[in-house]
Amino acid sequence: MKKESIKKMDISVVVPLYNEEENVDILYRSIHDVVSQLDKTYEIIFVDDGSKDSTFALLRAISQKDPHVKVIKFRNNCGQSAAMDAGFEYSHGEIIISMDGDLQNDPRDIPNLLHKLDEGYDVVSGWRKNRQDGLILRKIPSKIANRMICSVTKVRLHDTGCALKAYRAKVVKRINLYGEMHRFLPALARIEGAEIAELVVNHHPRRFGKSKYNITRTFRVIMDLLSLNLFIKYLKKPLGFFGLIGLIFFLLSLITLGIWVVGAYNYSNTIAESNVLFTLTFLFLVSGLEFFFIGLLADLIYVTGNKKKMYLSKFIQ
Amino acid sequence: MEESIVMDDVIIEKEVTTNVAISVVVILNNLKDSIEAIFERLKLLVEQYPDTYEFIVVDDGSTDGTLDFLKKIKDTFESVRVIKLRSVFGEAAGFDAGLSYASGEKIVYFTGRVRIDPAGLSKFLKRLDEGADLVIGWRHPRKDSKLNQFISRIFNYMITKPANLKLHDINSGVLVAKRNVLQNIPFYGDMNNFIPVLAARQGYRVVEEQIPQLSGSFRKSRYVSEYIQRFLDIISVIFLTKYSKKPIHFLGFVGAIFTIAGLLIEFYLFVYRILQLGPIAGRPMLLLGALLLVIGIQMISIGLIGEMIIFTHAKEVKEYNIETIIE
Repeated sequence: MKKESIKKMDISVVVPLYNEEENVDILYRSIHDVVSQLDKTYEIIFVDDGSKDSTFALLRAISQKDPHVKVIKFRNNCGQSAAMDAGFEYSHGEIIISMDGDLQNDPRDIPNLLHKLDEGYDVVSGWRKNRQDGLILRKIPSKIANRMICSVTKVRLHDTGCALKAYRAKVVKRINLYGEMHRFLPALARIEGAEIAELVVNHHPRRFGKSKYNITRTFRVIMDLLSLNLFIKYLKKPLGFFGLIGLIFFLLSLITLGIWVVGAYNYSNTIAESNVLFTLTFLFLVSGLEFFFIGLLADLIYVTGNKKKMYLSKFIQ
Repeated sequence: MEESIVMDDVIIEKEVTTNVAISVVVILNNLKDSIEAIFERLKLLVEQYPDTYEFIVVDDGSTDGTLDFLKKIKDTFESVRVIKLRSVFGEAAGFDAGLSYASGEKIVYFTGRVRIDPAGLSKFLKRLDEGADLVIGWRHPRKDSKLNQFISRIFNYMITKPANLKLHDINSGVLVAKRNVLQNIPFYGDMNNFIPVLAARQGYRVVEEQIPQLSGSFRKSRYVSEYIQRFLDIISVIFLTKYSKKPIHFLGFVGAIFTIAGLLIEFYLFVYRILQLGPIAGRPMLLLGALLLVIGIQMISIGLIGEMIIFTHAKEVKEYNIETIIE
């Protein structure tokens, strides 16, 4: 982030796009109409995530007309997290606003988000209270995912999945977005000590193009939540997490040993029972030890990694 | 790997032109007989172009006096840079060393072992001008032993299949590429065989071009350990290209299958015992279930360790590759 320090502006709007040729022009105009009225310095960053259609050509045409527009083109499709990460990295604004490129978010909500941010928050997340999507395929899975994300991350939001959000650049630039982590941005911001609020925003049905959502992601979301859970609770002391698993296995080995001892005392163990109980005892003992060592390894990884300053409860303006 | 390269002496410093158009990186190991022929042909290649060029010759620990020959060649050619490695470090290390000294916009790379006519590489450079980012050689027709051909076919299949690439000879040891391509792909260890896969993964245009093999003596067959090493490399490349930033998606998936299988087995035995259908202590299934459970949870844990490494260490590793930025 060395190059950014040269020019500073108030607001950066970051929009990842993938095959959205029908939407580009309308999207640009609607963002421009809102942001140019704010009386603040701004830039609009479009990230073309390796589109196969004419998205990039249209974006280039726009950027030639409007010096506020910046276009980042990826060589290949890298996913929304990577696109947002790149957009954030190359932004100069003190405040960053992210939104979807499918016209479902309404740029007219941006002033409200900014007001909310001024009340002293670091992240303001949109809440699509009147969501205009299919019930079974979009809304219900999204509700369930939201529940799970909330209960793991302890960040109480109605709609974590809403792409329309406003952040202070200081917060968001510390976050390394990868894989599909954009879904958990508020939680990741909370790890960094951010204050989070939410605000009801408009939502429109999709007008052009196809939705890029697909339901098979569920398993990956669960796995991501598992690791997020580890980061939130045990990042600084992973031995606590793995040690706990190890302890459970130690306990199991004690139980099997106990059963064997009781049986031996009563002379009621058959040879098969003795064999299996002994084998289980050692299996659990050894794996318990192994989890303990994995935990030590995890501690080592944390200690050698970049020290995140998590003691900051709030970012100093 | 990079740290372990010990460069003995870098001969010729004075005449090297910086910012040349073409850098030719050649890796040689005990090839004193064919050096002169190679350079004659190389000269033919570069003289077809008006561009400036440089040769970077990496002597990968030769013991047959190759270095003396190289010193002689240095006198006849204008810009030759010789890098001698202290002992045999392998092609990947040699490539790394050569690349770090190359300053050309286009990099021509080949190893002495492949026995090709370097003058034929002009076709490759042409493809580069036509818009390709990386041109990999396809030794065709081949002259070396049927066994060698068979093995390299198997490896080629194993590498290109998961990456969905249609290339015939990925470990040919001959390639021509734009400099930024080679700089932008993360490779280390013995990964030089996978450069085309990694480049294609980043969205670069990778094409292949035929180049006939010359007849003559070829390298003797390798050790078995070398094949095992290459096989492990393939696994790690698949893992790194697909899951480098999300290890839990892979390990968690396999681990979850193991864990669930173990749980199902134990549950079945539990019900079996509760209904008093017979003793379960003597059934191997009991141990199998317990083992699956333990291994499954361990795999998930290792996946989590991977996530921790990424989360705390990989701030600089970017998942995207930017083609252009318009401001």
